[in-house]
Parts: sequence; structure tokens; C-alpha cells
Amino acid sequence: MPNAKSPARRVSTYKIVQTILGIVFAGYLLWRFYVVFIGSPTYGPDTWARFIISGVILGSVYAVIAIGYTLVYGILRMINFAHGDIMMVGAFGGYFVFEAFKAIPAPTQTNPNLNLLNANPTLAVIVAFIVGASVAALGGYFLEKIAYRPLRGAPRLVPLISAIGASIFLENAGQLLFGTQRRDFSNPTILTRGNGWNLHIGGSTVILTYTGVLTVVLSILLMLGLFWLVMRTRLGRSMRAVSENKQVAALMGIDVDGVISRTFIISGALAGAAGVMWGIHLGLVYYYVGFLPGIKAFTAAVLGGIGSIPGAMLGGLFLGLVESLGPGILGMSYQLADVIAFGILVLVLMFRPTGIVGEVLTEEKV
Amino acid sequence: MKKQLRLALNAGITFGIVTIFLFLIGFTGTSGALLADLFGNKNAKPFLGLAPLMLNMLIFLALIGVWAGTYGSRKSKDQKEDPWAPALLGGLTTGLIQGLMVGLVALLVGTLMLRHVPMNMYLAALLPPAIKQFLFGGSPIQGALIQFALFTVTGLLGGLLSRGIGRSEWRARSSVQWKNSWGGFNQQTFVKQIRGNRYTRYGIYGVLLVLVFLVPLVAGKYWNYTIGTVGIYVLLGLGLNIVVGLAGLLDLGYVAFFAIGAYTMALLTAPLPHHLLWNFWIALPIGVVLAALTGLLLGAPVLRMRGDYLAIVTLGFGEIIHILSTSDVLTSFSGGPRGVPAVGGPTLFGKPFNSAIDFVYLIFLAALLIIFVTNRLQNSRVGRAWEAMREDETVSRAMGINTLSQKLLAFAIGAAFAGLGGALFASRNQFTGPEDFVLMVSINVVAVVIVGGMGNIPGVIAGALVLKGLPEVLRELQNYRVLVFGALLVVMMLWRPAGIIPSSRRKMEVEKDTGVTEPAKEGSEK
Repeated sequence: MPNAKSPARRVSTYKIVQTILGIVFAGYLLWRFYVVFIGSPTYGPDTWARFIISGVILGSVYAVIAIGYTLVYGILRMINFAHGDIMMVGAFGGYFVFEAFKAIPAPTQTNPNLNLLNANPTLAVIVAFIVGASVAALGGYFLEKIAYRPLRGAPRLVPLISAIGASIFLENAGQLLFGTQRRDFSNPTILTRGNGWNLHIGGSTVILTYTGVLTVVLSILLMLGLFWLVMRTRLGRSMRAVSENKQVAALMGIDVDGVISRTFIISGALAGAAGVMWGIHLGLVYYYVGFLPGIKAFTAAVLGGIGSIPGAMLGGLFLGLVESLGPGILGMSYQLADVIAFGILVLVLMFRPTGIVGEVLTEEKV
Repeated sequence: MKKQLRLALNAGITFGIVTIFLFLIGFTGTSGALLADLFGNKNAKPFLGLAPLMLNMLIFLALIGVWAGTYGSRKSKDQKEDPWAPALLGGLTTGLIQGLMVGLVALLVGTLMLRHVPMNMYLAALLPPAIKQFLFGGSPIQGALIQFALFTVTGLLGGLLSRGIGRSEWRARSSVQWKNSWGGFNQQTFVKQIRGNRYTRYGIYGVLLVLVFLVPLVAGKYWNYTIGTVGIYVLLGLGLNIVVGLAGLLDLGYVAFFAIGAYTMALLTAPLPHHLLWNFWIALPIGVVLAALTGLLLGAPVLRMRGDYLAIVTLGFGEIIHILSTSDVLTSFSGGPRGVPAVGGPTLFGKPFNSAIDFVYLIFLAALLIIFVTNRLQNSRVGRAWEAMREDETVSRAMGINTLSQKLLAFAIGAAFAGLGGALFASRNQFTGPEDFVLMVSINVVAVVIVGGMGNIPGVIAGALVLKGLPEVLRELQNYRVLVFGALLVVMMLWRPAGIIPSSRRKMEVEKDTGVTEPAKEGSEK
């Protein structure tokens, strides 16, 4: 823009400020790295290994939830605020499956008190994931049908408020149905939280929990499956087409409403699976369980570049690691883990508004 | 006929699920008590062998059944004539399906109860008395049969009723008639004159104002407290209205500025943790200015982002403030999780404000001030620049508006209003703690602005009244208030996306975008 002199200059001052700030933050971070790792190490390698393990596990759950946000955002350009609560629905689905399995007796000669949950833990876990994902998928489908579909084409804030309303409704329905108390997710004995392989790092043992490994492996499988679905199937192709341009997609003979509906089913199923993982690994379910992971996962989706599936995965992992490593590296209290996570979000958006791997959104899309 | 059956099937399943849901959250039992309050028959004699609460629940369920029947027997779109058979068949089918579903659930739950399965461990509302009431005091089979019969009969009744009122035509016609008559009323010269004449309008405003100022004198302590809360939400709503409604920037972390105002007031006037004990009237402007400065500081890097990125960053900022105020890091500075007790109140000519009424008037005055400022701003060059920016940022920049500084101004003014609200809030409660500044507050304020009508002062006031006042009126519903609030938000968006009292420009915009006035019309679903 040769003729627009003053805006061009303004941008450049902003750039200068940005660069200075960037150098300051990068310098601070380097200094902290030096202090923590070389200068006066506060933690040994075993502690760092624990941090990394928990960060990866948390991050993979965030990634699975974040993909749900990103899918919906990619297609409808709306924040599905109720996504976290759909995750809660899935977590309760898994919880009830485990409770039901626990109630069914399956006595053997050696152990007459055995129940089906411990007699066949593989089946229990599989059924829990299937039920959790299906219940949540159903929730996602009806959520879209009732709260979002009639609002197609309305100004952007309208569906957002509707989503907030749906989120409040789901949370309170959960509270009224299941009560306010936090419930223990009763895992099979094999998957007792804290059990796992012992790794020897730096002279002490670090436990790689089974539940954590299950979570990570399952989320990787889910992501691969999703990638295949989006990239290789007909439905995936229609989803990409609809996210590119709804009108043109409709002209190409794609049933836009159907595709949107199915997108919500997929994202709901992912959230439900994430809810069951959350329950198995962290062990508590209650009506509010989806709220914070929901917000964090949205942050992760934005960090990675919203609308992009690999971005959501990377963003989730990154956020999980920042949350578990950040307080240690910056030498802050653990209560401030979320502050660091949100602070990183602000910084990333300042310096790279498109997220880590995000496409440059045109104004029309934003 | 086939279509009618499908309609009825859908209606039956939907209403069946809704009824079961209401039972599972314990609302059917509450409905009996609610109706008892309404009829005043709590201590009446049993009628037909049913205790009053059960009778009331029966009435409530019957109403649902009739509604389901009418809904299930509505005319399908391509049906021209209106014979009796489809209507009755529709109603009957709806009733049968609904009755079957509810009856089965009643049977199941009743049998489990008799076997002493502790169902309320999993579903909190399934306590034995509630189940017994749902079974009308009989055995599971009796109860299930009563439920089944009830819904079948009421479904049929609904079908008859819908036939009697000419089915969907009646609804369509009546809403058109209503619209026409209202439009006609608006068109009458007399009404036009009143609406058009500035002095009559001021007169009406004056009368309203006097009425509003008289209310606290007759209201009790509890109601004055509620009115004060509504007033504070009016302040917050008007502040956010500038940011969201006029400038079009979605701010989900508005509570941060509210918290800054409240904490400034608290820390400056309270004896703990700093023992500053400043005068209220000095602390108030400091809180406002600090909030505005924070708005500027946050806005400067963030306001270049558009749309949802801005929303999520502000949301993150709100959470940061909340977490900081809860954490132990700042305990010595701001009281940490325990909060700041004994926040100072204002004095005027040596007389301390301590009754709730004084604060209500103070909040009213602040609201009036803010209404005045907002009104002047909205109709000024700045306000028009904001609205232009909201509609199209690129074009407004081409028109010579410095969008960044205008955005910053909007953000800072909005933050200042929130700071004022927060300072008054802390002073009125004589306490401030992190639990007052959760994300839900931000969401409530956004809802106030949008439900009331974006960019419109009377709309925001109406929104605050509906969202903060109505739940207090519905105290009877205690546990269900927030649930109803959530559902209400969704329904509002489906029914009146532009808000209760939409600003004329905003309404035009919504209608242009969706193509219809009410996007929730059934036609758009297909």
C-alpha cells in the first residue's frame, strides 16, 4: 500500500514494540532455563520425567477434546461452548458402565466374590468407551438439532449465546440428575490409578501409569482414525468442502445440514471418549467435570490454530506440557499453572495470531 | 395419515423423554408443591383418594399430556382439509407412546424401589417418597397403569382440542392477527404523537423514574438487596453494551474489570490486610480509573485480534484474575481465598450508609449517570464510529476512523463502568472474595446484553431485570432456577435473536441475515 502512509507507519511501530517484547520474553525464558537446568537445578531428572509424563497424558486428553472444537469451528465458525459438557455426559456414560459391570457377579472357583468388572476388564473398558462415546455423540446430535440448527445464518453472537445457554442447561441437568457429590470412577483393579511400570531415572523410580498409557495410546488411535476419516472418506471430503464454502458445497450436491449434523456426532463422540479417559485416569466425575477441560481444550485449539486438526493435536499436547512444566521452569506456584497456560495463549496470539500451524484466516472467515 | 402418524410418533417420543427427564430431576414432585402454592390447597382433603400434592402433580402431568396431544395432532404441512380422524389418531398415538414410555419407567423404578435398590446413589432425585408420589401411592403396576391411562386420555383430549381450535391454522392466524393489531396500534396518530413528542416522552421517563425511586421504600430488606443486585447488573450490562453492543468486540472476561473495581475499593477501605481505611468517595474514583487503565493495558496488545480470538483471550484474562485472587501467592496482598472482610461504606455529610435502601439509591444514581453517559456517547461521533466499526471494520477504516484507538476507548469506558459496579458491589456487601468473580459472572453479563437487546439501553435494563430479577421471583423453583435460565437463553435466541427490546438497527440486521423474523419457524428446520 504505497499511498496509505500513516497506517503503514503505525503497523511498523507496533512491530517494533512486538519485537522488543518478544526479545524480552525470550530472554527471560532462556534465563529461566539456564537457572533451572544449569545454574541451580531445583529438580532432578526424575521430577522432570514425571512432569513430562503427566503433561503428555493431560495434553493428549486436551488434544482429543480440542479436535471436537476445531471440527465444529472449522465448519460453522462458532465456538461450541457446550462441548465440555458433552464431555461430562460421556464421562457419566463410562461411569455407569463401570458401575453396572461392578454390580454383575462373575464368580470363579478361585474367587467367588469376583465381579464382571475385574473378571473381564478389557471388555469393561471397551464397553465403557463405546457407551461413553455414543451417549456423548447423541448429546452432540441433539444439541446441534435443538440449539444451533434453527440459528443457522444468524449473526455470530446469537449461536454463541445459545451455546452458553445449552452449556448451563447441561451442567445443571447433570447436577439435578446425578447430584452434586464427586463420584469415584471405579476402575478395574488392574487399572488402579498409580499402578504402572517403574522406570529408573536418575536414581529414583518414576511410575508410568497404565491408565496414562491407555489414555495416550487411545487418543493417538482416535486421532489417526479421525485423520483417516477426514482425509480419506467421502464424509471427510464433504466436511472439508462445507468448511471451505457452504453455498458452493450445497451446489455440488452435498447435504450441508447432514454433514454438519454428522460433524457434531463425531465431535461429540470424541468428547465422550475424552470424558471416559478423564474419568479413568483422574478418577473423579461430577456435573462440572467438563467445564475446565472444555475451556483449556478450546485454548489448545486456538493455540494450534483453530480449524486445523493437526493444530488441535499439537496445541493440546503443547498446552498439557506447558501446564505441567511451566510452573517448574518459571519457578512459580503450582496454583498458577492455569495462569501460565492462559498467559502463553495471549503471547502466542500476539505474536502469531493464526496459532502454531493455523492457516491465515481471511476476514470473511473470522 | 402416514405423515400424521410420524408427527405423532415424534411428538410422543419427545414428550415422553421430557416427562421422564422431569421425573428424574425431581420436578414432577416439585410441580405438586408449586401448584399447591398457586391453588392454596396444600391442606385440602384428599380428592378421589389422592392427597393434594399428588392431585396437583396429576394436573401438571395432565397438562403436559394435553400439550403433547395437541402438538402430536397438528396438521402436517401438505394436508389441505381438516377431517376428524387424523387429529384424533394423532392425539391418541402421541398419548399412547408417551404413556407407554412413562409407564414403563414408573414400573421399573417402582419395582427397583420395592427391592430396596438405593437408586438415589446414582440418580439424586429418586428418593422413595418421590417415587411413591409418582406411582400415586399405589403398587408399581397400579402406578404405571395410572400413568399410561393418564397420558392416553390426555393425548386424546389434546387431539380433540387441536381439532376444535382448527389446528395449526389457528396458531398462525392468531399470531398474524396479533401482529397486525399491534402494528395498527403503533400506526394510530395518537400513539405516534405520543411516541414522537419529545416532551411526552420525557414525561413518561420522569414518571417511570419516580416510580422506580419509590419502589425501594415499599420493598423489604431482601427485595432491596435483590434490586441492588439487579442495579449492579444494569451497570455492568451497560458497560459491556458499549464493548459488545456498540463496538462489536466480544469480551468474555468482563468480570476481571469488575473484580479490579471491587478489590480496589476493598483494599483501600478495609482494615485488613493493609489498614488503609480510606474514604469511600476517594476509593471509588480510584477503582474506576484503575479498571479503565487495566482495560487500556489489556486492550493494547489484544484488540488487533478479531472475533473469537478476542473472546478467548479476554476469557483467559478473566480466569487469570480469578486464579490470582484465589491462589496463595497474593494472600498477603489481597486476602487470598478468604477474601477481604469489612469493606468500608460511604458516608454523606457525616451520615453513614448502612441500610440496603441507601445503597439501592446510590446504585440508582450510578445507573442514571451511566445511562446518561452512554446515551450521549451513543449519539455522538464516537458512538457512530463504534457502530460503523461493528458493522464493517475495513469500511470504517476507509472512512477515516482510527479503529484501534476507538476500540481502546470502548474497552476502557466499558472497563470503567465495570469498575464502578465492582466498587459499589464490594462496598454494599462489605466483603469481597474470589468467589464473586467467576467466569459465570462474565457470561451472565454477556447474556444480559444479548438477551435484552444489543446496543440498546432500555434493552439492557430489561435484560438485567429478566435475568437477575426473574430468578429471584421464581424462588419457589430454587434448584431449577439455573436450569431454567440455561433453557431460557436457548429459547430466547431461537425466538427473539435480537433481544427483548431490540435496537432498531440491530433488528434489521438480524432479519436481513436470517431472512425471516423468527428463524425458529418449523419451516426452516426442514
